[in-house]
Amino acid sequence: MTNGMVFALIGAALAALMAGIGSAKGVGLVGEAAAGVVSVDPSKFSKVLILQLLPGTQGLYGLLTAIILLSRVGIIGGTPAELTTAQGLAFLAAACPIAIVGLISAIFQGKTAAAGVGITAKKPEHNGKGIIMAAMVETYAILALLISILMIYNIAV
Amino acid sequence: MTKYAKAVAAIKAMENYLLTYSDIEQLINASGKAEMESIIASKKGNGNETDTLENVWSTLMDYAPECEELKILLYKNDFHNLKAALKSMIAGREPDNYYIKPSNLNLDELKDILSSKDYGRLPEYMRETAENAYKLITKTLDGQLADSLIDCDTLKAMQKAAEKTGNSFMIRYALLNTVCADIKTAYRCCKMKKSVNFTENAICGSSEIEKDALVRAVTGGMETLISYLENSSYGDAAGLLEKSAAQFEKWCDDVITELAEQARMQSFGFEPLAAYYIAAEAEIKNLRILSICKEFGADRETVTERMRKLYV
Repeated sequence: MTNGMVFALIGAALAALMAGIGSAKGVGLVGEAAAGVVSVDPSKFSKVLILQLLPGTQGLYGLLTAIILLSRVGIIGGTPAELTTAQGLAFLAAACPIAIVGLISAIFQGKTAAAGVGITAKKPEHNGKGIIMAAMVETYAILALLISILMIYNIAV
Repeated sequence: MTKYAKAVAAIKAMENYLLTYSDIEQLINASGKAEMESIIASKKGNGNETDTLENVWSTLMDYAPECEELKILLYKNDFHNLKAALKSMIAGREPDNYYIKPSNLNLDELKDILSSKDYGRLPEYMRETAENAYKLITKTLDGQLADSLIDCDTLKAMQKAAEKTGNSFMIRYALLNTVCADIKTAYRCCKMKKSVNFTENAICGSSEIEKDALVRAVTGGMETLISYLENSSYGDAAGLLEKSAAQFEKWCDDVITELAEQARMQSFGFEPLAAYYIAAEAEIKNLRILSICKEFGADRETVTERMRKLYV
């Protein structure tokens, strides 16, 4: 295995790992707040569940990026490519946007969604507003995912 | 930063069961106790677990058992219970009927500590007060002197603990409690023409109403006191004091509720929990005033002007 391949694999691992950690933190925080509401009013379970799901998407974006990267370098469904160090570093750089933005945005989205749980608890009819506020944070994770995918597809192997 | 997320969310759900202005309006119009009870039951549901402050506190402690800041809210009750236990001990009575709950203290233990004079077992914030109050009451047999010492130390302990947390909400809470108590004490001392020495010992003082200036105002007579208060940041309170003591009491409760209103906007932290406790305290006070007014056949206007500001 070349040094290039090692860097590419580090990139794939970071994408899945960091975005996954962010999502776990975000989902955990909202889950904590949601449990508080459900302990008082179990009928609000479905409404708070939507909010809890929101910070989970970054983990999926990280996973998607890692799979695409692994497939591009031939680890999945092909023969592993003989990557140069420069190519490997390029793949590592390509994984960085979703790894870093995924981690940070999932945590912040979790905070916003947990605050949204408070809206649902007090005024369930305004649940949508809490969802919209939390979804705004998602924009930046999507932009990072887009950049990561564009970079991965445009690195010559 | 995201502390007490679960507790705050649960409290927000529980806020829906607090009485609103329209509920209070319905209660004022209720013809009797039975109708009042049915209005409350329809709002809160049967088997409501937050009907007493003790239950509210126990719910808060279930969600945030390690929250030290919340305990400052009970300092007033703790020191009141110290007063009750001391006086009962001197008078040879059982203090149980005079205790206020919830309290940070184990009340059976409190009695035991005072009778054995083992003050080291008390929480640090009340050790010295308990010892001094005991000495004072046994030396002078003047309950009022011991009361004023304990009341003053309550406020000092609240301010000290609040400063220690460094939390602006708690600092403001302690400050407002001190200001209200000091204004009340100053007014009473002035009305009852208490000595300068007594007034000095009874007033705690704060960053907003300085002790020496307030004592000087009291010694100058009622006009000087009112004019001093009118020129302070609590000018509106001075106006109410002149009009009626009941309205001033309501103002004191309302400023604390207003503080709680700001704190409840937060999504995390202990502040919304403290705000909920303050709101529940105001609600229970409102219900007590309502039921007493109904019992004595007070007119609608009297009841309405005594109703505390609500938080919902």
